[in-house]
Amino acid sequence: MLRFDRRLLQNIDWVMLAAVLVVAILGLVNLYSASYLTKSVGTSVFIKQIYYYLMGFGIIFCIILVDYKTLIAWNYPIYAAMIILLLAALILGAEVAGTQRWLNLGFFRLQPSEPAKLMLVITLASYYFRKDTGKGFTLKELAVPITLTAVPFLLILKQPDLGTALLLAFIFVSITLFVKLKWSTLAVLAGTGLAAIPLAWHFFLKPYQRQRVLTFLDPEKDPLGASYHITQSKIAVGSGLKFGKGYLHGTQAQLDFLPERHTDFAFSVWAEEWGFVGSLVLLACYFFIILWGLNIALAARDKFGMLLAFGIVSLIFWQAFINLAMVLGLLPVVGMPLPMFSYGGSSLITTLAGIGLLINIRMRRFMGPS
Amino acid sequence: MLRPLGNINKMDPAELNILKKRIDIVSAVVIFFVVILVVRLWHLQIQQGAEYSRLSEVNRIRTQYLAAPRGNILDRNGEIIISNRPRFNVVWIREDAPHPDEVIKQLAGLLGMDISELLDRIRAGADHPRYMPTRLKEDVDWKTLVQIENNSFNLPGVQIEVLPSRDYLYGNMASHLIGYLGEINRQELDERSAEGYLAGDQIGKMGVEKLFEPYLKGEKGYSLVEVDVHGFAQKQLQIHEPLPGGDLRLTLDIKIQKAAEDAMADKAGAVVAMEVNTGRLLALVSAPALPLNKFEGGIPTPVWRGLLEDPKTPLINKPIQGQYPPGSTYKLITALAGLEEKVITPETVHYCPGFINFGNRRYGCWKKGGHGAVNLNKAISESCDVYFYQVGQKLGVDTLARYAALFGLGRKTGIKLEHEKEGLVPTSEWKQRRHQEPWQEGETMSVAIGQGFNLATPLQINRMTAAVANGGKLYRPLLVDSVRDQEGNMVTSFPPVLENTAIAKENSWRLVRQGMIDAVNGEHATARAAKFSEIVVAGKTGTAQVVRLAHFEHLKGDAIPYKFRDHAWFTCYAPADNPEIAVTVLVEHGGGGGSVAAPIAKAVLKSYFAGRLGAAAAPEPPPPPATIDSEE
Repeated sequence: MLRFDRRLLQNIDWVMLAAVLVVAILGLVNLYSASYLTKSVGTSVFIKQIYYYLMGFGIIFCIILVDYKTLIAWNYPIYAAMIILLLAALILGAEVAGTQRWLNLGFFRLQPSEPAKLMLVITLASYYFRKDTGKGFTLKELAVPITLTAVPFLLILKQPDLGTALLLAFIFVSITLFVKLKWSTLAVLAGTGLAAIPLAWHFFLKPYQRQRVLTFLDPEKDPLGASYHITQSKIAVGSGLKFGKGYLHGTQAQLDFLPERHTDFAFSVWAEEWGFVGSLVLLACYFFIILWGLNIALAARDKFGMLLAFGIVSLIFWQAFINLAMVLGLLPVVGMPLPMFSYGGSSLITTLAGIGLLINIRMRRFMGPS
Repeated sequence: MLRPLGNINKMDPAELNILKKRIDIVSAVVIFFVVILVVRLWHLQIQQGAEYSRLSEVNRIRTQYLAAPRGNILDRNGEIIISNRPRFNVVWIREDAPHPDEVIKQLAGLLGMDISELLDRIRAGADHPRYMPTRLKEDVDWKTLVQIENNSFNLPGVQIEVLPSRDYLYGNMASHLIGYLGEINRQELDERSAEGYLAGDQIGKMGVEKLFEPYLKGEKGYSLVEVDVHGFAQKQLQIHEPLPGGDLRLTLDIKIQKAAEDAMADKAGAVVAMEVNTGRLLALVSAPALPLNKFEGGIPTPVWRGLLEDPKTPLINKPIQGQYPPGSTYKLITALAGLEEKVITPETVHYCPGFINFGNRRYGCWKKGGHGAVNLNKAISESCDVYFYQVGQKLGVDTLARYAALFGLGRKTGIKLEHEKEGLVPTSEWKQRRHQEPWQEGETMSVAIGQGFNLATPLQINRMTAAVANGGKLYRPLLVDSVRDQEGNMVTSFPPVLENTAIAKENSWRLVRQGMIDAVNGEHATARAAKFSEIVVAGKTGTAQVVRLAHFEHLKGDAIPYKFRDHAWFTCYAPADNPEIAVTVLVEHGGGGGSVAAPIAKAVLKSYFAGRLGAAAAPEPPPPPATIDSEE
């Protein structure tokens, strides 16, 4: 099982690794600037992020050693582990600091909702791979994957972390649309989804979450309250102009106007200091990684590899798009990091583990059955 | 339910084609979304860039955090022990003073500091943004404050920062358990940044200030302030008031605490007073006290060194960290074990000639002339060593240890304070493990009178005494009663916790208690110094030998060097017929328990029973002279 073919080494996806490395370097350069103001306080987030990257690359290396097909058999244990982690965060996390998103492991504060994203992708890919008859799924057959998604969705909503919960829903929809659905099923699902929005608005959203959405729709109403983040972020991005204000010279970031600038709003700092040109460069990197990931899905040796690769790509894509759209004032503020660019160990390591799986799928694309 | 793995790469070419088509569709969707982002970037940075640039130029809205008032610390009756007061720091804002030389020269005179010292501090803040204040001097007095305010026109860039700080209304009262605040350090900041701490915040560093930090700290508020191009605040736009911390109500009674601390003035040692039926502590004293007001904002090195080198060891919180041989207070356990294990009856008589020979050694009684014929009551009330040597021999060390454990000796009491010590209850197995030697029977004799390997903290002895008084119930010592918010609503409370109960026959309890009553009130009582006419006190004296040195045997009192003098114990409860309070006193290197420790316990009891003592009790009878009758 663990027999490692030397040929595999030659097939390692250096292109993907190089693209990730470029984003890593740009992210670290930006993080240094974003945390410049507070660098004398505590252990620098810049140094910590370097450690997380090293851990992440270590994990990529470990992941590519084992054939990704092993995951099919480990599907339910992985799912169970995800539920346990999320429950632990709800129960034990309460004691840490009022928020229930964190699990203190001593050496590392894990945010279980991050690995949960990848674990759900693995679960859904395995499920659809096993059950797909090629005739298209009916509504009844979808009951199981809907339940599989709903459980972590509700647990994360309870933390409360609306952004991550919605992301799980996006992943579910993306993968489900990718496998074949009956048209009738699709129609029913779409109808239910649309009907659910007003219900969710009244019963599920907390007042502050409703406030965020309203603020987004009418930002001028309350410029210093809930729309402060978005207004400051738009000023930062817009004032970057063509070539930016120069590294470490973004006034929005360095004068402490931009909140959350090393985490969710890291891209604002980048856009302010490097301008339109710099923003396009970064955007191009993500665009390339996504397209390359789709290419991996296309070239996969088997359908499981294809579904898994597609799920991981959709995970990275939705996070990046939602984050960028939020930072640019196109979507309301939800907690959503820019993969590999925002500060945060749980998110970074999860994304790199996903990248590891993509490389894994690509390097085994020519291999016969083991 | 798994498909055989070998088959999984068989993909139907037709199906593959469909999926390929879908990936093409997906790619188109991705491109569509990317185009949206690019167009938006173009819109913000190129089309509206000029407008946003202008906004960023005039963007002068800044968030300022507002410190939350920390909760007060109160005694059980709501008397405030620790409150807050404003503390004035002189700060420097670089942005407002481009040419600082003249200002610094003038400031040095006003603050009484060297120019070089001021420059060092300014340089240390050079990393920070220009609008961020750098502290030049902390906690200046009113006079300096007024001088700076009056000169503010000549001191551009110099401002006064007002921070809340602790106000110690009773000086250093209960200093060890209250603890102090200090600036948050890097490690604490790393661990607790999620709780809203920022650099420069104050955080509890010791005692209940540290252990109850989450309740006391409250929640920061913030205000959004519009500033002009120079960074001066022009207008407050919005304010979120801070949420004050909760008030911590201790179980202590400051009247009793103060009486105990006054009685311990210039001594080193511990006083513990506990409610017998709940475990709530009424007083917990470690003498000498810590100079808390010198701790805030960093402890100066000379102060710290002085504390470290003081022979009275003020850095040790003696009621819970001081471990001493329990001395004769341990005889209560030996007596109860003897009765319960039926090795003695109340009528058993041993003859005490002032010593007993065992092996080739002579074990002395504290009373050189001997007690003569001794029964149990006399053995306790006059603390005859020879009687208990023999009880101990019959019981054996491991049986004694079992009874000691029933009274909570040899393990932590579970009081919510840091670094509590366990004490030590020796067993034969322990000695084999620790010293790789078998237990010697002679050592049992030492243990039976609370010497030898035995170690206990004053809090453990106090809890043991309370258990003798209440029929064996061992409560967890409580220091904090409740936390309430500023509206007076209960946030959390700490009800009594019964840990375990030592079961013994009612008659055994009665006999031991009678011995204690007679030890205070009897004809040859060792602790007459704790006697009241209105209330019956039951107690036991003790003397913990620091060294057994023949060298000092002929010397008395002050002639022995301080560090070799015996520790004085006295532990008691009252009233004897319906116990309410247990008081334990330990005076380090104090000498005799009856002459030194008992009067301190009396002062504590007097404060507790203040309302119930008649006017006649006011003029205190002179304490009996420390005659040969007082225990050695």
